[in-house]
Amino acid sequence: MGDLGLSAAFSDITVDALLEALFLVVLASAVIMVVQNLVPRVAHQLGGKARLYLLASVPLVRLLVIIVTIVLVVPVLVEPSFENMIAIFGALALALGFAFKDYANSLIAGIVTLYEMPYRPGDWIDVNGKYGEVKSIGTRSAEIVTPDDDVVIIPHSTLWTALIANGNDGSDNLMCVTEFHAEPHHDVRAILDTLRDVAFTSPLVKTQQPVRVSVQNKPYGMQYKIKAYPLDPRDQFRFKTDLTMRGSEALAAEGVRLVSVPVATV
Amino acid sequence: MPIEEWRLPETSVHRSIKGAVRNVWGQLRAGIAPDNEAFDSLDDLPVLSQLQLERFAPDRDYARMAMLLLASVEENAADNPVTFLVAPPFSGIHKALQVLADDTHGASRRLITPPDNLLLSAGDARSWWDACDLTQPWVIPELSAFWLRHRSGLELIRELLKRVAAGRAGEGLVGCTSWCWQFWSHCLPDARFQALTPAPMHGELLGHWLNDLASRRNRQGVVARMSDSGLWVLPAAADQLDEGQKSASFLRDLAALSRGIPGVALAIWQKALRARPDEEQQARDRQDDHHPATRPACWVAPLEKLSLPSMPVTVGRGAALTLHALLLHDALNEDRLELVTGLTGHEVALVLNRLRRADLVAFQEEGARWRITPLGYPAIRRQLQSDGFPVDPF
Repeated sequence: MGDLGLSAAFSDITVDALLEALFLVVLASAVIMVVQNLVPRVAHQLGGKARLYLLASVPLVRLLVIIVTIVLVVPVLVEPSFENMIAIFGALALALGFAFKDYANSLIAGIVTLYEMPYRPGDWIDVNGKYGEVKSIGTRSAEIVTPDDDVVIIPHSTLWTALIANGNDGSDNLMCVTEFHAEPHHDVRAILDTLRDVAFTSPLVKTQQPVRVSVQNKPYGMQYKIKAYPLDPRDQFRFKTDLTMRGSEALAAEGVRLVSVPVATV
Repeated sequence: MPIEEWRLPETSVHRSIKGAVRNVWGQLRAGIAPDNEAFDSLDDLPVLSQLQLERFAPDRDYARMAMLLLASVEENAADNPVTFLVAPPFSGIHKALQVLADDTHGASRRLITPPDNLLLSAGDARSWWDACDLTQPWVIPELSAFWLRHRSGLELIRELLKRVAAGRAGEGLVGCTSWCWQFWSHCLPDARFQALTPAPMHGELLGHWLNDLASRRNRQGVVARMSDSGLWVLPAAADQLDEGQKSASFLRDLAALSRGIPGVALAIWQKALRARPDEEQQARDRQDDHHPATRPACWVAPLEKLSLPSMPVTVGRGAALTLHALLLHDALNEDRLELVTGLTGHEVALVLNRLRRADLVAFQEEGARWRITPLGYPAIRRQLQSDGFPVDPF
């Protein structure tokens, strides 16, 4: 039992069996590579909801290919008896436990990610202060691209400890909040109506989703917030720019000035 | 009928799947062959001349349609003296309501036209409606001409709806495209008015209607058969066919493709008709006989052989914004398009040029405005829906 029974389990391996297993692994890797490269391209060509569905299918297809490969490769190398399975998985557990603890942690979290789906490709997430669109979900980590075009690698193990904020959660509805800080002493009701009109007349707004305008009294004046949904999550920055631009124009037309420097509260 | 009762004409599962696959393939292929976007006929049969088109598939009789609309409004009279007629684009409501104010047709209603400047304050809008004579029965053929999607362009409609709700607008008829109606339903969710809409044209109804149009020129109607299978398209009723003659599913598919909208169906029908080169048959066409086989006849190209206009993929977000704005406002000039889309003047010009080449929009000399084409409407609606735009319920 010094070798956990591994030598007995692998004693019947032939060169042909090794080659066959190698071929299956290479084939599976090729299929995964093709899926990971081709599907996102097709998805971006289609746009809309079809894009989100296709992007979300990539990690699932990968998981499926991995499972099928394991199911095919293991019987090629060893006889799938109870003793052999115990021996192989025992050795694997030992190796992973000592040598690749963090890596295994991310791998397992990666599988949980596929099951629980806290984020999918196409989602806009915030993890530890990094905000961006999930571009791909790998075996060990996920890649997000920030609005400044930085690629941030997030190990799946972050899932255990970090707070993850998901803006659209697999849908194409992502709420944007646009703020205006105005000097006080004006007709608040009129400004609420004006800002609602500004939001409703934006060409990028989803009118079928709620449009809300709220106001709060702050020490420096009034803080208005427009909460509305852009047509597509990818339009969010253009949408907020449009609302900010046209909202500022509307406030100026109403004779309401924006505060230039908010006064810090003591 | 009330809007809630409207149902999209059904098509076969086979046709739905085929349409979806063609649409996806068209989008994928557009990146490879970007020039193939406009209408194209994929068969080699001769198309109809203008004279033949006017004989087989003439435009609608709007005067007759106006009378039918009036009768329907009286039949469905609601508590409110102002009736809203909501319909998808190309339903013909706009032109039919214009006829009601036309002197040559008796001018039974006073026509209300919008002011040149639509950017008004609430006070200015109030004054404008105060100056309007609403004491006599009036008609607004297209409500979407009374607003602009701009924070200062909403007051005219807001004031009108306020007066209608308060019962201070007299007796009126308001035509409104479904896209404009959809926007205002979201913008003023508390403004609930009973609106009427024409019933959708499903297959059999479409067949009767197309035959009816043709029978204005040929008393006994026309005969139309599929150019590939020889199956019968018109007459649509099975009792008018002889034993052994089978009907094609063309009208059902056409109704689904055009979403039951008469103007879109007629435009596709006109493109699908093919001339019959057989002289002997033409001679027989002239005979005045009620038997289907001896009526004026033409061939119909299968819908698969008609490559309808498709959305350019490479044109960017500006195209979708422009098309959505045109649907909301029915028709717009370039300056107003600039105002409502937030695009710059040269961006609007470039986008319009690209869309015009794809047969999706057309310039209307009357009023110097741009409009969506009926042939392009199905593709435009599908693309806007896919892109997350708010679309009409029809």
